[in-house]
Amino acid sequence: MRRQIRQLSYEGAEHSRLFPAARRAISAILCAVRKTFWRAILPIAVAAGVLVAWASARTPLQDASSQQVSPDQTAPPAAPAPPSPPAYSGPVIVLNPAHGGTDPGARGENGLAEKDVVLEYAQVVRATLEAAGYRVLMTRSDDSNPSYDDRDAMANAHHDAIFISLHVASTGTIGTVRTYYYQFWTPFPAAASAPQTPAGVAPPPATLEEWDEAQRPYTDRSRLLADLMQAQLAQSFSGSPAASAGVEVRELRSVAAPAIAIEISSVAVPDENVLKAFDSQLSACIARTLEAFRPANAGETK
Amino acid sequence: MIVGRNLKIALAALAVAVVIGLLSLRGLHGRVQRLAQLQTTEEQARRAVLAPPISTPTDVRVQAKIFWAAGADKVAPVVVELPLSADPVQRSKQVLQELMTNPPTPDQRTLPADALLLSFYILPDGTAIADFSDALASETPSGILSETMAVNSIARTLESNVSGLHRLKILIHGQEVDTLAGHADLSGFFDLNPLSAAPTHP
Repeated sequence: MRRQIRQLSYEGAEHSRLFPAARRAISAILCAVRKTFWRAILPIAVAAGVLVAWASARTPLQDASSQQVSPDQTAPPAAPAPPSPPAYSGPVIVLNPAHGGTDPGARGENGLAEKDVVLEYAQVVRATLEAAGYRVLMTRSDDSNPSYDDRDAMANAHHDAIFISLHVASTGTIGTVRTYYYQFWTPFPAAASAPQTPAGVAPPPATLEEWDEAQRPYTDRSRLLADLMQAQLAQSFSGSPAASAGVEVRELRSVAAPAIAIEISSVAVPDENVLKAFDSQLSACIARTLEAFRPANAGETK
Repeated sequence: MIVGRNLKIALAALAVAVVIGLLSLRGLHGRVQRLAQLQTTEEQARRAVLAPPISTPTDVRVQAKIFWAAGADKVAPVVVELPLSADPVQRSKQVLQELMTNPPTPDQRTLPADALLLSFYILPDGTAIADFSDALASETPSGILSETMAVNSIARTLESNVSGLHRLKILIHGQEVDTLAGHADLSGFFDLNPLSAAPTHP
């Protein structure tokens, strides 16, 4: 038993030799932390808190002072208001500069290409119509060549569109202009043996239009628009015919909206500037025609 | 004295040069004329092989109306005496061949000189199908006006000389094409005799 007690006291003596060293190390660390806290961290934290409080208190005061105008002060001059977006009204005008890309259209002996001239015309017409308050889309604004269907689809995507295609001819008296609308061939009467809708099956909705002949229901309105346009053009471009012409122009066939093509003669002009100078007359004629056409077209949109 | 002699020599040389120039110019003019005649002969020879004149036992000389260009923007009929067949298909070929080959003046031409009528059919419903060579599409000037004049000259010539036709379909080398030269829509039909009533299908 004594031996056991001696053994324990021996182990306790070993522990007593180890613990004081640990206690001294811990107390040294705690002392260093306390010193650091009181001498460095606490002053920094207090200073930061004061700064934050001062800043948060100052900001609303500044806003309030900026809104106050003393009675003896005159109001500062109002800054110019940012330009408001144009108030678009009426139909969407889809301008189609014909050709483009690898398709130059008509070409003059001097290298003049229809695709370039009509693109310049379209840009001038667009600016004129937008200034008049129309929303204008262009089927191409660079040297690309969308398909006929892609061009027509731009007009068909809007419930109230007018499609105007711009061309320059290879032939014709220079300085004359012609307007065309799509004149469909006469359909043959349906054959008596044509398949009939079976009894009990609902016929297809009458609102569906066949893409390849989407222009057919709009022929009369297109003709009216073309006549109005040609009347304007005949006044500005002497020698132009008085009436429009109904022909089968491919790009008009699938437009489900009033659609016309305007063609100026011609790329055979000796100086290309003569042809390009027609842009202002052309855009003015188009703007006047659309103003005249709007009342007639109102209420008949898709 | 010496100066006067030299002047005479120079004038004589100049006169000889002028005479030689005039003779050369005359010869050059004759050569150009012969060349033009040769070209015409070659075109006639080519047509004689590819599109020989059509004659049938029922040919009768009649006053045909062929629609050529009349000014820059329209076509108008010119009365020509032609031997025309009683068979509508042969008669159509005869008037279209006259339209393509014999315009009164080059300015009145509406179809390219190289264009050929490859074949021609008439369906029972009165639809005329005219199949032209590639040259019709590739050599017609691009533009609504020029292409419309080309199509109108064909349509008006057919309806004025061949009875029973109600609409026209134009093919290029046996194929339906989108446009003639970028504008005129060839995917549909063109009315012939539009004032007459369209027939019903059998």
